Amino acid sequence: MTGTVITGFGVLSAAAVGAGPLVAAVAPIGHGAAAAPPTTAVDWYAEPLPAPAAAVVEGLDFTALLGRKGTSTFDRATGLAVVACGQALSDSGLAVSDETRQRIGITLGTTLGSLRSTSDFSRETLVQDKPYLVNPMLFPNTVMNCAAGQAAIRFGLKGVNATVAGGALGFLGALRYSTNALRAGYADAVLTGSVEEYTPHSAWAAHHAPGAVPGVPTGEGAAVCVVERAEAARAAGRHVDAEVLAATAGFAAAADAWPDALAGCVRRALAAAGAAPAQVTLVVTADPAEITAVAAALDGSRCQTLAVREVFGECQAASGALQAATVLAVHRGDPARDGQLALVTGHTPDGAVGAALLRGWSR
Amino acid sequence: MHPVVVTGLGPVSSVGIGRPEFKQSLLAGRSGIGPIESFDTRGFPYVNGGEVTGFEPQALLERIEPAHWGRSALFAAAGARLAVRDGGLDLDRVDAGRAAAVIGTTSGESQVVERITAQLVAGGFPAADAALFGQAPAGRLAHAVSAELGLCGESMTLATACSASNYALGYAHDLIATGQADVALAGGADSVCRWAHAGFYRLGALTADACAPFDRDRSGILTGEGGAVLLLESAGHAAARGAHVYAELLGYGVNCDARHMVAPDAPTIAACMRMAHRHAGIKPDDVDYICAHGTGTPANDSVEATAVRDVFGAAPPPMSSIKSMLGHTMGAASGFGAIASALAIADGFLPPTINWRTADESLEGIDPVPNQARPAAVRVVQNNGFAFGGNNAIAILGAVT
Repeated sequence: MTGTVITGFGVLSAAAVGAGPLVAAVAPIGHGAAAAPPTTAVDWYAEPLPAPAAAVVEGLDFTALLGRKGTSTFDRATGLAVVACGQALSDSGLAVSDETRQRIGITLGTTLGSLRSTSDFSRETLVQDKPYLVNPMLFPNTVMNCAAGQAAIRFGLKGVNATVAGGALGFLGALRYSTNALRAGYADAVLTGSVEEYTPHSAWAAHHAPGAVPGVPTGEGAAVCVVERAEAARAAGRHVDAEVLAATAGFAAAADAWPDALAGCVRRALAAAGAAPAQVTLVVTADPAEITAVAAALDGSRCQTLAVREVFGECQAASGALQAATVLAVHRGDPARDGQLALVTGHTPDGAVGAALLRGWSR
Repeated sequence: MHPVVVTGLGPVSSVGIGRPEFKQSLLAGRSGIGPIESFDTRGFPYVNGGEVTGFEPQALLERIEPAHWGRSALFAAAGARLAVRDGGLDLDRVDAGRAAAVIGTTSGESQVVERITAQLVAGGFPAADAALFGQAPAGRLAHAVSAELGLCGESMTLATACSASNYALGYAHDLIATGQADVALAGGADSVCRWAHAGFYRLGALTADACAPFDRDRSGILTGEGGAVLLLESAGHAAARGAHVYAELLGYGVNCDARHMVAPDAPTIAACMRMAHRHAGIKPDDVDYICAHGTGTPANDSVEATAVRDVFGAAPPPMSSIKSMLGHTMGAASGFGAIASALAIADGFLPPTINWRTADESLEGIDPVPNQARPAAVRVVQNNGFAFGGNNAIAILGAVT
């Protein structure tokens, strides 16, 4: 048991922006309806794209959402993450004050930050008259902790600030990092999420990724959960969306043995929580291929399964947080599920695996 | 809680690959700086950096195929392999599921991203090599360590920029302390790249030839690279196999400036030091040596000295910067600092700040251990790490009692 709970979340995705809209968007899925990511023809990049349509967050205007101050250098990933952090704080009711800001942190998952920001900055060293004629204001955008650092500045959060580079496992790694920081006493609350932007760079990276499936649109998004110690949340009277019963991680002895390693993660999560496979009623995976591995760990017990890309498109590093947000949204809108368990799983092509076991509640 | 000890050191650096050579370089005050060879420096006003010129991954690695991994992942894996050998750890006798890899980085596979970018400039996206995209994810730094050593515990890459190794050491410490792991390979890796060289130059933070931290006339950093990995074990695991113990990893502090993306904040850094002391169970008076972040820019060294004097008073312990020898190895920097800290404790010396000529009156009270390594009884070291994004992380190492 991690002793931590989730007291609110924020989300930006093609399917919904904001916790409330996501609750509405996933309600039919919770009752068994098939999902399909809404797609848009992307016409705002000069570069060629691997597919004409993508599951993007439409009409994003960070200046309108966040104002001009401090936001002019934001890339899309940073903007998505900062907006999602703000939504999560509001949704939770967690107050940031001079008394609390030292003890509120941020952990975000990513693949490699903004590939577009980094590659464009590197490009300037090749195409400018002099190779050093880069824009120094954009230099921090090449560093993978840009989104977490900017979110800390935006909300004045001086607690532990971490970025986990884990691709599809970025969120689960971030959740483990955050729950450890809470347990070890480094923070009282940690905004925990992951983010992926849609750019030509990320679209081609998704296109070339091992296991990419033709016909699944590339997506983007961010989701952020407020994770805090259970007793602090309850003492403050904040609503508990979910208890984080366990979060486990591992690495397969060989890359193609990841299903066994993932099944092991799920078993360890259940054991840590003292839970039986039959208590799990919802499994949200990063990749549909994970469903078989998870089913093996659940001893064939029947439950609802969903691959997150069916809802949001292939969102790469954002997928983990969008999986968690889906679980939270399904539970928030359906009191009949109160107290039931849900699993979030992920893996990387190299054989890293992870799982989180949540107990969800309606609001 | 299980005490966490350092039992193996794996430096892959510009001043030596492997613990014996690295230690000799620290003692000798050897510089690893030279003309950059990994990219074409034509057109850059400054052309020096701290590259690992003799790095031959195939000579060090036993399991993973170098062609499938980027340079930073290979630094990490090679550092981990060296740490395991240095620690005399028989991996066949380790419970693989209880062995973790935690690696910090600033720019991950920066050279892979630069190769992708060069292809984009030359021929656009459709012409770019698909396989390179598969090598770019930064999570592969830790995965390379796990795959090289056959570790089946958690494999996590922490991308918290230039303090990332201390984040990794801290997280690995907690995995062992709480009984989730017996063994962890923790540290960091980064590679020299064009974009960082250009970015630091344009920030006015790059110097021409020699990095001179805490000198009155210090003028900036030199970009460096390498892999710095430490073998951590629970004290019980180390004792059961009769391992040599360099030091105990006592604890760490982490916080965030939340003020500016690149300019450090002295009060927050001082708070981070106090947090590290509290978690390590020590007092400022216990610290015998500070392995400084010490980048060598006028502003950063000044901020670091201000924070140190705030916490330690007017006469703080000696504080040197190994960046004077290595350059700024980014995500590996505090990993190299931790290796130097462990050696300082185990072998009784303070690494020097080389290139030091003139005292800076504004840094009064700071003893940078100028130019010559110094014999000293070292029981507790504070290893500083600060970063873009205001990501501060400080690790405390101590002699085993």
